[in-house]
Amino acid sequence: MHGTLELIHPTEQWDCTPINFPVTHHGSERQFAGAELSDFMEHVARQLSDNSENTADGFSMESLSNEAFTPSTGEYRPRKLARTYHHTSGSDGCGHAEDLQWINGTQSENVSTMTYKNNRSNDHDQQGLSLITLLMECAVAISVDNLEEANKMLLELTQVASPYSPSCAERVVAYFSKAMARRVMSSCLGGTMLSPLVQSKSILSAFQAFNTISPFIKFAHFTANQAILEAFHQRDRVHIIDLDIMQGLQWPALFHILATRPDGPPHLRMTAMGTSYEALEETGRQLSGFARRLGLSFEFHPVARKPGEVDPAMIQTRRGETVAVHWLQHSLYDAIGADWKTMRLLELIAPRVITLVEQEMPHSGPFLDRFIGSLHYYSTIFDSLGATLGCEDVNRHKVEHWLLSREISNMLAVGGPTRSGDERFGSWRTELMRRGFAQVPMSGNSMTQAQLILNMFPPTHGYTIQQGDGTLRLGWKENGLYTASAWTSPRLLR
Amino acid sequence: MQNSSYHQTTASSSTSTDPSASEKWAEKLLRECAKAISEKDSSKIHHFLWMLNELSSPYGDTDQKLASYFLQALFCKATESGDRSYNTLISVAEKIHSFDTARKVILKFQEVSPWTTFGHVASNAVILEALEGEAKLHIIDMSNTYCTQWPTLLEALATRNDETPHLRLSVVVTAATGGSVMKEIGQRMEKFARLMGVPFEFQAVNCGFSRLGELKREDFALREDEAVAVNCVGALRSVSIKDRNGFLRVIHGLRPKVVTVVEEEADFTSNKDVYIMCFEECLRFYGTFFEMLEESFVATSNERLMLERECSRSILSVLACEGDGGSGECERREKGSQWCARLRSGDDHFMPLNFSDDAVDDVRALLKRYQAGWSLVTSQGDDASGLYLAWKDEPVVWASAWKPSS
Repeated sequence: MHGTLELIHPTEQWDCTPINFPVTHHGSERQFAGAELSDFMEHVARQLSDNSENTADGFSMESLSNEAFTPSTGEYRPRKLARTYHHTSGSDGCGHAEDLQWINGTQSENVSTMTYKNNRSNDHDQQGLSLITLLMECAVAISVDNLEEANKMLLELTQVASPYSPSCAERVVAYFSKAMARRVMSSCLGGTMLSPLVQSKSILSAFQAFNTISPFIKFAHFTANQAILEAFHQRDRVHIIDLDIMQGLQWPALFHILATRPDGPPHLRMTAMGTSYEALEETGRQLSGFARRLGLSFEFHPVARKPGEVDPAMIQTRRGETVAVHWLQHSLYDAIGADWKTMRLLELIAPRVITLVEQEMPHSGPFLDRFIGSLHYYSTIFDSLGATLGCEDVNRHKVEHWLLSREISNMLAVGGPTRSGDERFGSWRTELMRRGFAQVPMSGNSMTQAQLILNMFPPTHGYTIQQGDGTLRLGWKENGLYTASAWTSPRLLR
Repeated sequence: MQNSSYHQTTASSSTSTDPSASEKWAEKLLRECAKAISEKDSSKIHHFLWMLNELSSPYGDTDQKLASYFLQALFCKATESGDRSYNTLISVAEKIHSFDTARKVILKFQEVSPWTTFGHVASNAVILEALEGEAKLHIIDMSNTYCTQWPTLLEALATRNDETPHLRLSVVVTAATGGSVMKEIGQRMEKFARLMGVPFEFQAVNCGFSRLGELKREDFALREDEAVAVNCVGALRSVSIKDRNGFLRVIHGLRPKVVTVVEEEADFTSNKDVYIMCFEECLRFYGTFFEMLEESFVATSNERLMLERECSRSILSVLACEGDGGSGECERREKGSQWCARLRSGDDHFMPLNFSDDAVDDVRALLKRYQAGWSLVTSQGDDASGLYLAWKDEPVVWASAWKPSS
């Protein structure tokens, strides 16, 4: 890392000079070019959200089928949805009250008249995109509680889409339709507000794989570390509170630079929050060992509670110490608990810096909003993985299945990723600002960090960093995925 | 469905433990769920279905896959929507079915596992021996392996010392081989026979979907001077249970020189009225099958996925569909010993043919070509004659040969 660092002065104006990367033009009309899944998604998603005011009765897919795309790879016209699901009156003789209107046995009228091609890669892409269309229809059915219709479509989708396909779109459909099937079943069963089961080992292993094959985690870690380092400038007693530490992959790099600071190393305390006490202890052992080898004076406090559930008294801050709070947002499980309680905790702690990395999609709100947002978001990530790794790559499968698929399931579940029904903030950045926290612009050094990380991951032309509004956003092509920002407590400003 | 207190209290306490951390967690949960269904314990049913819903995935490890596919069957059973779901699934499967995909799947399967080739090798050896010296051969093929059995037989016929006989192959059209698939198969077989220099005739015998039991002697257009062999690979189980003995009589009436029967070693028939017993057998068999698939294919294999999806339809049919002529009849497997009893009974019965030492050697040589874990078990005792393919010492496929009593 680097030698001289500027002291962060919170009221300094942020200089928005972009370095080589175009700043996103939100809302401008973008020329559709290329059959890239995520581009298609955004276009169709906009159509879908424009149409979503219509209820199931009035919903028509005609606006989609009348659009003519001209992708650069040749002719593609989204297929006319000549699909008909015949509704025959329930005549199976069972006669139970909730008589599902099913189709009866005859073959060809049952399913969509979409034709499925196989084996040729162009057809893979074409099939992938037609599946996406069916998926979206299904989402609309769910959003208006038409579970029978949704179930029929899901029976088809889950039989056709393969998560090992060369087409990223098809992989996305495989996982999305599974997530929706899960949701439909849990809706039938009731009891949707119960906490979901967490499968820690598989998550952590997949998380590490993700860290290896993709720059997103490193981006989050290193840009945050840079901001924390700057906040700790010339401070001797420092305290990091990690709201969801997992294995603490982030911290060794920071320890290293703190230990080799020209001013001399600080005394470092770490409060680590997480789901399992055993996992926290293990993380603590690893980090303590690492700190010891660096000659860094280190204390570790595990707190096996969520920030939104913990008694603030359990988070001890000492006089004279500089506090940094860090949070990497994800949808693997509910790491935080109630948002407003966590916010209150932050206000009480009054840290010198809060480093926040957010996923650019809505974590709350109505199902259809979450569906469109996450479809766009995950299509982008799947694209980025597909651009660098073969369809048989085991790490890619691991990440897609154990990490991304789990997130997708949570995003689409009843109650959203928290599954708890708690009110979620639309955007943490907005909320922090509302509560009087002042934004600390991400520095030029943070940008440099981000740049260095991208250089580790070919193809560098695919991943993009955007800076603006004091934040750093890492994405794939024009789609931003993770936004890093830093904040300081209002109390410290007085 | 109503929610219940059992469901809530137990589930909330389960957040601290991870049930999927223990070995074979899927079997335990599935078993509890099936038990709850057979006892009609609504709150328990909810609880276990919910847990399985959370933990299962058709794209994860074997436990997760079993959980996913069995969950679907149990859910349909509990909501009495099995028949309708099954029909939809079959429609979708037929829609996406093509010769190319079917061929790709079976060839890959045969490359990594002797599951189907075992029966082929054993049957071909017996057929060749039984039809030795005959000039006109007629093989009636009822199988689910898309005629992948016959190229090696054609080769053997072509390379025999004596004059190459004329071979007529009648393939019974099943659900899987309908339409363009059969046409494609026929063309390829004719081409291959030409290459081998074997005088050859191909005929498709239509019997309507899954209506094997309705075939009659006339459907086969038998000729006076031909020697008939009937080959049933995975076919008998698709005959309705009540029609099985009758179907065997029809075969008897064809006066074949040899009948080869290959079936998977599972019993979903004798226990069909005792849900929990049928469930256990289903779990045992498919648990073995899925485990075998996982160890034989790479993790990201589309072919394996297709095989798994096919299994899921069978599982649904056995565990959630109504029997007695409905969709629940289609996949009721019986064990070798049970088929033996059928074949041996009645006036028009059959007598077992032994597999020669050469035949057994052929099978052993085949198994050597695959990864470890496979073995050949020759049956002991009078209960069942034939050969068994075993995976980790568990018999999984049964191959047998018969001749009609005169």
